[in-house]
Amino acid sequence: MQNIKRTNFSENIMQAIFFLSAFISVLAVLAICLFLFMRGIPAIAEIGFMDFIFNEKWGPTNTPASYGILSMIVGSIYVTAGAIVIGVPIGLMCAIFLAEFCPDNVYKFVKPAVNLLAGIPSIIYGFFGMEVVVPFVRENMGGNGYSIMSASLILGIMILPTIISISESSIRAVPDNYAEGSYGLGATKEETVFKVVLPAAKSGVLTSIILGIGRAVGETMAVVMVAGNAVMPLDKIELFKPIRTLTTNIVTEMSYASGLHESALISTGVVLFVFIIILNASLSLIKSKAQRN
Amino acid sequence: MDRSMNNLNKRKAKAMMLKAFVWLCGILTVGILIYILLFILLRGIPNINLKFLFGEYNSETLSAFSSIVATVQMIVLSLLISVPIGVFCAIYLAEYAKRGNKAVKAIRLAVDTLAGIPSIVYGLFGMIFFVNILGFRTSVLSGIFTISIMILPVIISSSEEAIKQVPDTYREGSLGLGATRLRTVFHIVLPSAMPGILSGVILAIGRIVGETAALIFTSGTNVLKNPSLNLFASQRTLSVHMYMLASEGLPHSRNMAFATGSILIIAVFIVNYATTKLAGRIGRLSND
Amino acid sequence: MKNSKILSIIALVLMLTMVFVGCSKETPSGDEAAEFDLNKDITVVARDAASGTRGAFHEIMKIIVKENDTEVDKLVVGALEFDGTDKVITAVEGDEYGIGYISLGSVSDRIKAVSVNGVEPTVENVKSGNYTVSRPFLLVTKGNESDLVKDFLKFTESTEGQKITNEMNFIGYVDSPADYTASGMSGTIKVAGSTSVAPLMEKLQEAYQELNPDVTFETQAQGSSQGIKAAIDGSYDVGMSSRELKEEEAKELNRHVLAIDGIAVIVNKENPKSDLASEDITKVYKGEITKWSEVK
Repeated sequence: MQNIKRTNFSENIMQAIFFLSAFISVLAVLAICLFLFMRGIPAIAEIGFMDFIFNEKWGPTNTPASYGILSMIVGSIYVTAGAIVIGVPIGLMCAIFLAEFCPDNVYKFVKPAVNLLAGIPSIIYGFFGMEVVVPFVRENMGGNGYSIMSASLILGIMILPTIISISESSIRAVPDNYAEGSYGLGATKEETVFKVVLPAAKSGVLTSIILGIGRAVGETMAVVMVAGNAVMPLDKIELFKPIRTLTTNIVTEMSYASGLHESALISTGVVLFVFIIILNASLSLIKSKAQRN
Repeated sequence: MDRSMNNLNKRKAKAMMLKAFVWLCGILTVGILIYILLFILLRGIPNINLKFLFGEYNSETLSAFSSIVATVQMIVLSLLISVPIGVFCAIYLAEYAKRGNKAVKAIRLAVDTLAGIPSIVYGLFGMIFFVNILGFRTSVLSGIFTISIMILPVIISSSEEAIKQVPDTYREGSLGLGATRLRTVFHIVLPSAMPGILSGVILAIGRIVGETAALIFTSGTNVLKNPSLNLFASQRTLSVHMYMLASEGLPHSRNMAFATGSILIIAVFIVNYATTKLAGRIGRLSND
Repeated sequence: MKNSKILSIIALVLMLTMVFVGCSKETPSGDEAAEFDLNKDITVVARDAASGTRGAFHEIMKIIVKENDTEVDKLVVGALEFDGTDKVITAVEGDEYGIGYISLGSVSDRIKAVSVNGVEPTVENVKSGNYTVSRPFLLVTKGNESDLVKDFLKFTESTEGQKITNEMNFIGYVDSPADYTASGMSGTIKVAGSTSVAPLMEKLQEAYQELNPDVTFETQAQGSSQGIKAAIDGSYDVGMSSRELKEEEAKELNRHVLAIDGIAVIVNKENPKSDLASEDITKVYKGEITKWSEVK
């Protein structure tokens, strides 16, 4: 009798501990929101929401100072779009290759390579970008190399593993009878893959693209080394001109900022955070839609 | 007849082209990887020497030794914090939580959100909360806490996946023999899920080794002359070391950045190899 | 059959890689270097706003324009901004049409330092005052310094300290330095600030530690303004700055001049120019001149 009581007791205690551990994630998210917003929102209020978001002038060291991050928001969007344009087609094709066309003994070789690509630290991508991609763009495409183009190229490579692994597993998850039906109608393997299997794996592919966007928007250290960090007025932004993104704005200026400037940089982080929240929301939307189907 | 032949040929040609394109993309991906690896390793490895690896840091050697020690500290201590929390959370989600429960929904949402937050935002949070508000200053301690939150989702999702893959017959057998639920979890489920949990841990190690943006503002850029377990001092990890070397103006710092990059790549190589090995073991286990 | 297929794939991958590597290695030393096109756009390279080098350079070159109460940095739109000296060097080394500015002590044969108004950027010319693009390296502290900090500052201003300074191609500022004798103190000194001062600081710390092995240092190098800020709020003992203090900063801090450093204007080695007028440099940085052909 005594014994049972004791086990019940420890059972309950442990269950409470499990629950608390699980709840730490929620606390962490709340804490991150709370403290970022606590430091960021007052600054946005002081600068003025419109002046902060829709002003393209960033001059924290000027008197009077101006804190507009529109140019960086647009910069982040451009760079991410570039990464998607470069990374998605290659990544998707590579996923199809791995799932459908790759002989087993090649697969043994390519799959770990993709995983390794995912594991390489972003600082190495940045260094590689500075030493290889920037000169390449300068010699072959124009401009001085530090540009939206270089950042897009590097980010395009960096999101490859995300796109490849998630798309691959969603292509593999398509039931075999889809393909069999298509073969039965006399379609070639290629037609089957592109017209039947790929559309069936749509939601997985979309998920991979959104995760890719998330990675590209949030990437800092690689971008700071190849984008040139110039704050560009909107009408001067070009593919082969330098750019500053939300993330690089934070990392280049945080170390010396103080007062309102520092808070403005944290507000930049808040904007970035809101971006990510929106992405996550759309992700769970896709997930629940896929589950309903 | 002629026309349909023509059509068939066209279709065949199109199919061939698609196939070639798909192969090309596969080859391109591997090519990019090999290029990056060769580029860093070929320039880095000739610069690695004993002084660089194990010597004392000064402006001549730019030794990576203190940074290696700092990285190991960072890995061990943040795993000590987040592995128990992460695994417990996974146990809760996989074994105890009822589906559709509001708390469970909130927890899953939180884990997904944590996984999506960029490292620079973690860095900002760590700077505001641990460095300033809690007053840990720029120190290894602040870095460890920041990193622990960052790797939590990695550990949770791979552990949950691994726990879910343990066949129900195991649990039923144990419960049938009169073991409590708790005993079943600790003695039957966790050991069977161990390879999966470990591969999550290794992934987390990879993430810590490669992290820069979250650490610059939290654990800082200082190099300890005598590497030691000093949680209250600012210390730079290998990735931060590489970043600093790529920014400093000393004539040989660029070569040493390549050398540091090579060490990082070798570390990532080992981490990936270990994960693949473990994943292979899980595959075999579930085939039994 | 299968094996040969795989072999051919591996061969193809290797070939592709070789082509890539081959390309990137040849281009920088290619023969196109001979034709320096004066009509190409100048690539303007600047430091990030945290940098003391930037603060000093933009001030001296009048890129910062002061009018009444306003003070605006007129750096040309599209100028590259880097948070480290080495990145500036790498950018100018790689871009034939680049122009940048770095500490004189960091000049190497990767790039070319040009004369300004006909005066070569050498230690002698900075010392004599002929080369006017220079700024002080400052160590700042707040309030009463501890004995340890005092001792270290005494060392930096001693014969030994100033010798190290001069060896690093900076210009020792102390007129008649005294000899330093080891004090045998112990403790930790926390230093933060300029990335330009950091290499010199590191050498000084190494020499100081040889004499006083019980002293340890903690150094953060993230820019002059960070160092000044850290000294003011007391989180660090000593701040390093590579620019002059602003009025409101000077009120709060003790100011020690460690050395004088020239700022070298650097261009690519292929650039035929070796002498620039300071007005032209200003115009280039303000975007009033965009091509090398317009530079006298």
